[in-house]
Amino acid sequence: MAKKSIYQREVDFLQKAKEFMASSDYTKEELQLQTKDLIENYEELVNQVKIITKISDRLQRKLNKTNEKLEQTNYALNETNIKLNETIDALAEAKIGRKSAIIVMIVAIALFIVSEAWIEPIIDSHFPNSQYPFVGLGLKLIVAILIKPGEDLTNKYMLKKARKKQIEESKIVTKKV
Amino acid sequence: MDNFFIERSKQTPEIKFDAESGVLEIMGRSIPENTFDFFNPVLSWLDEYSKNPASKTVVKVNLEYFNTSSSKYILEILKRVKNIMNDGYDVLVEWYYEEDDEEMMETGEDYEDVSGLPFTLISVEED
Repeated sequence: MAKKSIYQREVDFLQKAKEFMASSDYTKEELQLQTKDLIENYEELVNQVKIITKISDRLQRKLNKTNEKLEQTNYALNETNIKLNETIDALAEAKIGRKSAIIVMIVAIALFIVSEAWIEPIIDSHFPNSQYPFVGLGLKLIVAILIKPGEDLTNKYMLKKARKKQIEESKIVTKKV
Repeated sequence: MDNFFIERSKQTPEIKFDAESGVLEIMGRSIPENTFDFFNPVLSWLDEYSKNPASKTVVKVNLEYFNTSSSKYILEILKRVKNIMNDGYDVLVEWYYEEDDEEMMETGEDYEDVSGLPFTLISVEED
């Protein structure tokens, strides 16, 4: 059986008219009646097509408007998302910066204590202060000079680690979605 | 006569026809995969109802969106309601649209023009 369509009534009517014309066994009155019915149906169909096309075009316009609104909302959301990510990154960097400064400071203090407690007496025994007054001072100076690059290196390493972690987390979220 | 009810889905509207009160409601979104299968029982019920309708039939249409083939079936529904009116019964179509939905309001006006039925266009606030 053929699938019924929304124009089933019209299709059925057309089929009947075709069968009528094919029979060639009809009177003039019957032909007039058939033609009248056909014209009426055709007129109704034309009117329906006109109104349906008009409504369909209008609703297409509505759909387009909704689509445009969605695109705008999507764009605004993306913008907000970018800003939010930038803020999160800045916050994370500041947090990491503080952490690495603390780590470097602890290491510097530790080095200072180590140099005062163990290295200084060794230097003194090999290079007496009277003959080589700047050896101990030079060592402390090297430690002091290395503080800043050490902090930068620690900062870079921690940032790299944090970004890697962030990427892995976003991959997990994407998989879940 | 039994009342007629189809639950609303993402693609099809809620259809609630009460034979006793004469209130026929169509609400939601109408984009069925197979419009013929969806609307044919609706039209069959209306054909049955029009044989012995309530003294007043009120058709409430509150659609946010419908596809082209649904628009043809809305015409078919209105045609049947027009037949009820031609048989001497009181009928009214209440066409609901969201207040900023210009397209749906104009569509209601078009259906009013083409059907020749008494229409009331009712603006409702957005959800």
